[in-house]
Amino acid sequence: MFVHLQGSWNPIYGRLSLHEIPFKTQIIQGAFFFVVLTALAVLTAITYYKKWRYLWEEWLTSLDHKKIGVMYIVLGLVMLFRGFIDAVMIRSQQVMAIGPHSAGYLGALHGYLPPYHFDQIYSSHGTIMILFAITPILTGLMAIMVPLQIGARDLAFPYLNALTFYLTAAGAALVMVSLFVGDFSHAGWVGLIPLTELPYSPDVGTDYWMWAVQLSGIGSTLSSVNLIATIIKMRAPGMGWNEVPIFTWTALSTSVIGVTAFPVLSAALFMLAADRYLGTHFFTASFGGDLMFYTDLFWIWGHPEVYFVVLPAFGIISEVIPTFSEKALFGYTSMAVAALAIAGLSWMVWLHHFFTMGAGPGVNLFYGAATMLVGVPTGVKAFNWALTLYRGRLRFDAPMLWCLGAYALLLIGGLSGIMLAMPAVDYSVHNSAFLIAHFHSFMLLITFAAIAGYQFWFPKVFGFYLDDGAGRKAFWFFSAGTLAVFGSLYALGFMGMTRRLDYIPFVQWRPPLIAAEVGIFFYCVASYYLVRQLYVGLRDRKTRPAGADPWATTRSLEWLTWSPVPAYNYPVLPVVHGRDEWAWRREHEYVDRVPDHYFDIVMPKNTSVPLLLGALSFGLGFGLVWRIWWLCAVTIAGILLVVIIRSFDNHTEHTLSAALVAKLDGGEGGLPDAPGSVNPYPSPMPVPFFAKTGAVSRCADRVASTLREGVVAPGPLGKGARR
Amino acid sequence: MSGQEAIREQGLWDRKDVHHDKIGTHTLGFWLYMLSDSMVYAALFGASVVLGHRMNAAGGPMGATVLHPLSAYWETLLLLASGLAYGLALQGLKRGRKALVLAWMTVAFLLGAGFAALSVHTLLALIARGITPERSGYLSADLALIVYHALHIGLGLVWFLVMMVQVAVFGFHPNVVYRLLNLKLFWFFQSFVWVLVFSFTYLRGVLI
Amino acid sequence: MPSRDRPRALYGLALICLCLAGCQARSVWLFHPHGAVAAAEFHYTVIDFAIMILIVGPLLVATALIIVRYRKGRNARYDPHFKKSRVLEALMWGVPIATVGVLTYFSYQAVYLADPYDPTAIPRSLAEKSRPPPTAGRTSHFAAYPRSNGTVRHGPQVDVNVITTDWQWVFIYPRTGITTVDRLVVPVDTPVHFRLTSATVVNDFLIPELVGEIDIMPGMRTKLAMIASRPGNYRGYSANFSGGGFSWMGFTTTVVSRRAYRAWTRKAARAPDRMTYAAFDKIAKPTINLAEKPMYFSRTQKGLFDHVIRRVLTGRVYETPLRMTENMTKPLYVKVLH
Repeated sequence: MFVHLQGSWNPIYGRLSLHEIPFKTQIIQGAFFFVVLTALAVLTAITYYKKWRYLWEEWLTSLDHKKIGVMYIVLGLVMLFRGFIDAVMIRSQQVMAIGPHSAGYLGALHGYLPPYHFDQIYSSHGTIMILFAITPILTGLMAIMVPLQIGARDLAFPYLNALTFYLTAAGAALVMVSLFVGDFSHAGWVGLIPLTELPYSPDVGTDYWMWAVQLSGIGSTLSSVNLIATIIKMRAPGMGWNEVPIFTWTALSTSVIGVTAFPVLSAALFMLAADRYLGTHFFTASFGGDLMFYTDLFWIWGHPEVYFVVLPAFGIISEVIPTFSEKALFGYTSMAVAALAIAGLSWMVWLHHFFTMGAGPGVNLFYGAATMLVGVPTGVKAFNWALTLYRGRLRFDAPMLWCLGAYALLLIGGLSGIMLAMPAVDYSVHNSAFLIAHFHSFMLLITFAAIAGYQFWFPKVFGFYLDDGAGRKAFWFFSAGTLAVFGSLYALGFMGMTRRLDYIPFVQWRPPLIAAEVGIFFYCVASYYLVRQLYVGLRDRKTRPAGADPWATTRSLEWLTWSPVPAYNYPVLPVVHGRDEWAWRREHEYVDRVPDHYFDIVMPKNTSVPLLLGALSFGLGFGLVWRIWWLCAVTIAGILLVVIIRSFDNHTEHTLSAALVAKLDGGEGGLPDAPGSVNPYPSPMPVPFFAKTGAVSRCADRVASTLREGVVAPGPLGKGARR
Repeated sequence: MSGQEAIREQGLWDRKDVHHDKIGTHTLGFWLYMLSDSMVYAALFGASVVLGHRMNAAGGPMGATVLHPLSAYWETLLLLASGLAYGLALQGLKRGRKALVLAWMTVAFLLGAGFAALSVHTLLALIARGITPERSGYLSADLALIVYHALHIGLGLVWFLVMMVQVAVFGFHPNVVYRLLNLKLFWFFQSFVWVLVFSFTYLRGVLI
Repeated sequence: MPSRDRPRALYGLALICLCLAGCQARSVWLFHPHGAVAAAEFHYTVIDFAIMILIVGPLLVATALIIVRYRKGRNARYDPHFKKSRVLEALMWGVPIATVGVLTYFSYQAVYLADPYDPTAIPRSLAEKSRPPPTAGRTSHFAAYPRSNGTVRHGPQVDVNVITTDWQWVFIYPRTGITTVDRLVVPVDTPVHFRLTSATVVNDFLIPELVGEIDIMPGMRTKLAMIASRPGNYRGYSANFSGGGFSWMGFTTTVVSRRAYRAWTRKAARAPDRMTYAAFDKIAKPTINLAEKPMYFSRTQKGLFDHVIRRVLTGRVYETPLRMTENMTKPLYVKVLH
C-alpha cells in the first residue's frame, strides 16, 4: 500500500497468515490451552446452568450503571490476572538469566524467554496494568458509586456508559488476541519512539498496542464526559458543591483530566498510525519528523494519566478512613481543593519524564519545581488522613488495612518521587530500577486503594459481606510481597540496574533479584486469599447478609439506600441536608429508608447496541492491525449504520409506575409478594449468577424477597430497620 | 440549621418529582465532547507549529508554494454561510415550523457539501502535484490538520442528512431537538476551527 | 488480629533479603561515585533524601502512634467533631510549600553542577584538586556554586564522539582518528567531552559510577561531559530500551593514567582496520555483540559523526528484520564479525 512492509500481504487476509500464529512457542501453547480451557469451562458452565439468557438480559445488554460498573471491574480483574502473570514471567526471567553462565531453556540463550518475547511481556504488563486493569477497576467503581453518592438514578448518559465499557473491552480483547495471533508490541507501554516506527517494529505488535490503547482511550474520554455531566447536572436536591462526597470530588477531578488528557493520546496515536500506515513523517528521525514531539505528546497525556488513576484511589481512601475511624473526614475543603490542584498541576509536569533529553538546566529546573509542587496537595491529603485517624475510634477491618497500606506507600512513593523530581538526581536513576520501584509504589497504592474500595462497597452493591479474615491475610501477604519486590528494586536502582533487561549482565544484582522473586511468591499467596475471600463471601452469602449500612459507621449518601441497591437506586430521590448525609440522618435519627410517597420512575431500556458497537470496533481494530482493508471498510460502515439506526429509536426508556415502585420498595402497604408485579427491568444487583432464578419474570420476586430480607434483617446498629 | 428545621423546610425525600433537564444535560455533554475534540485539534495545531520550521520541510515545499489562500477563501465563505443557514434553520425550530427548518437545513447542507467538494479538490490537486504527506514532516502536519477537519465536515454532513430525515419523520421530538442543538454546536465549532486551520496552514508563509 | 506472627516473619524474611543486597556495599554503584559529576548527583541524592525524610519520617511515626493509640476499645479520647482546624490546615499547606522552596533551591544548585552539557562540577573539582580549599572538609551546601563560562578549561581535555547502533557503541576520537567499538578508554582527571548521536533508535548513555544519563537520539546531537577521579574499569550501558540486543549493549570504560592513555593512543592508532563510512554501515547492521568483544579502528574517515546524522536525516534506516522480531524460538543472536 503506502509504505514498505516486510513480509507478505494479500487483499483478503492482509498480513495475516497461518504462520503468524506462534504455535511453535511452548509458552504460548501453554497460555493458549489455559485460556481455551478456562473459556470452555466458563461457556460450559453458562450453558449447563442455562444462564445465557440471564447473562444477556441482566448483564450484557443492561444499561444499569451498577451492572456496567461490575462488568468494568470484572474485566479489570481478568486483565489484572493477565498482567500479574506477565509480572511473574518478568521477575522469573530476570532471576534466571543472570550472568553469562546462566542456563537457557526453551530456545532462549539465558533464562527461558528470548529477547523479543520478553519485551512483549513487559510491554503488555505495563499496558495491561495501567490501561486495562487499574483504569477499568477505578472507572467501574466510579460508575457505580458516583450516581449513588450524589443521589441520582443513573449516570447522565447510561447508553454512553455501556458504549465506553465495550470500547474498553474491545481494546482488552485486542490485547488478548495479540497473545495468539501475531505478537504484541516490544516497545514498552509508552511506545518508545522511534522504536515503534515501521523499520524497527516491522511486525504487527505495535499496531495491536496502538489500536488497543486507542480504543480504550476513546472509551476513557467518553466515560469522563459522562461522569462530569452526571456530577454537574444530576445531584440530588439540596446537594450543593459543599455537600458533594469526597470520592465524587476526586471522580470529578479525575474526569477533568480524562476529558482533557486522553484526546492528546488519541492525537499522538493517530499521528503514529499515519506514520506506520501512510508513511508520513510526524515522528520519524528523517524527513523533518520530530521524534521527541511524540514523547512530549505521550507524556502530556501520560503524566495526567497517572493522576487520572491516583485521584479516585485518594477518594476511596478518603471514604474508608473516616468510616473506620468513626468520625468525619478532616479538612474536607482542603481535600477537595487538593484533588483539583493535583488535576491542575498534572498538566505542568510532563517534561520530568525526559529530563535526560538534553533540555537546558532552566527548563529542567522549572519542570522539577513544578513536579515537587504536586507533592504539596498530595502531602495535604496525607496530613488530612493522619488527622482523620487522630482522636478516632479505629477499627481495622480489611478495607481499613488496605487503606493504611496505601497510605504508607504514598509516603514512600512520594519520597522517591520528590527525589526523582530533582533533575540532577534523575540523571543518575532515570530509567533505572529505582524509577520502576517509584512508580510501582504509586501503582500499588492505587491497587491497595482499589482493593479497599472493592471490599468496602461490595456489601453495598451485592448485599452480603466478603470474608474479612481472608481479606486481612491477603493484605499482609500483599504488603510483604510489595516490600520484598519493590524494596529490592529500590536497592537495585542504586546498584545501577536499568529497566527492561531480559538478561542481567552483572551477577552482583542477583541477591535483590532473588528477594524480588520471593516477593512474587507472597503476591501469589495474597492472590489466593483474595480469591478465597470472594469464595467464602459467596458461600456464606445467605448467612451473612449485609444491611443497608453494613459497616455501621458509614457516612455518605450511598449508604441510605438498600443493600443490594435496587435498579432505580432510590425509590424517591433523597433530599440532602449535610455533607455526610447518611451520618447526618443517623445523628438526627431520621433512619427510615422507606419514603412516604412515590413517583413514576423513568428508566432506560436494555439495548444490545453498545455491545454490537464494541464488537464492530474490535473488528475495525483487528482489520487495521492486519491491514485487511475490506474488513476496516465494512466495520466502519457498520458502526455508522448502527449509530444512525439507533438514533431513530425514540422508545429507549421505560416507566415504572409509582404503584409498582411502592410495591417493590415495600412501602404503602404493598408488601413484596404482591402477585403479578412483573417488571421487565427490576433486578437489582444481587442475583449472583448461580442463584435460583431463571426467567425474567421471576426476577421481580427475587427483588422483592431480597428487599424484604434487607428490611427484616436489622443492620449492625439496628438502624436499617423500618419502623 | 438544626435537624428539625431542615426537615420542616425540605423534607427527607424529594416532594417535587424532580426531573433532570434532558436537553440541558445532553448539551453539557456535547460541550464536554467538544472540549476533548479541541484537545485533539490542539495537538494537531501543536504538530503544525513544532513541525513548521524550514528544517521540517526537509528540502520540500512549504508555505505559500503548497497551499493557495484564495481557494480556501471561497471555502471559508461557503462554510460560514452554511453556519448562517443552519442558524436560520434553528429560528424555524424556535417557531416550531418544520418546513422552514428543512428548507434552511437543505441550504446549509448544500453549502457545506460545496465546502467539502472544494476541500477534496484542493487535496487531490496537491496529490496530483506530488505534494503528499509522505514528503516531509511539515507537509504531514499541515495536511493532517486539513484532513482531520475535513473528516469532521464529512461526518457533519451525514449528521445533517440524518437530522433532516428525523425532523421530517418525528417532528420536534425532544430527542430530535437536542440533536439539532448539538448539531448547531458541532457545526459552529467546525467553522471556528476552520478559521484557525485557515490561518495556520493557508495563510502561513503568505500573511503571517 | 489473625495470624499476627506469620506476617511479622514475612517482613523479617523480606528485610533479611534486603540486607543481603546491602552486604555487597561496593556493588551499590551510585553510592560510590568515581567522578565529579556522579559525585555531585549522589551528593544531592543524599540532601534530597535527608530533607524529605524530615517530613515523611515524623509523619510515618506519628501515624503509627495514632494507629496504636486510637485503636477502638483502648478508650483513648474520642472526638468525632475534630474535623477542622485553621492552624493545622495552614501548616499542612505551608510546610510542604516551604519544603518545595528549599528543595528547589538545592535543585537549582544541582542542575548546573550536573548539567550534562556543561557540568560546573568538573571545573570545580579541577580547581579543588589544584588548589585545596583553605577550610578543611566540605564547603557549605548553601554556598552557590560558580557557573563555568564554558571557555576556561583547566589543562587537557579529551573529545569523544559517540554513535549508538543496533546494538553496539561506536566511540570516535576525532583528534587521533581512532575508533573503538564497545570499549571506551579515557585518561584519569581529565575532562571528557562527548557528542552523541544514534544511527537507529533512542538510547541513553550511562556509566553509573562516573556520570548520569543523557539521551542519544537519531538525527540529533546531544552532549555530555564527565571526569574520572580514579583509574579502573567502569561499566557503561544504555539505559533506554532499544530493541532485542539491548541487554547486551554494554561497554567497558577503562580509566587509565595520562601516560598509559598516550601509550594506548599510539597502539590503537596502529590498528590495521580503517573506519570508513562503508565500514560503519557494516557495524550499524543489527548486531548483538554477545561477548562484548571490543574492536579497534584507525584512520577514521573525516566527519563520520556528522555524516551519520546527515544520513539519518535523509532517510537512512538500519531496519530490524521481521524474522528477528517475529520468530521468538530460534536463537537470533548474530555473533559480531571481526
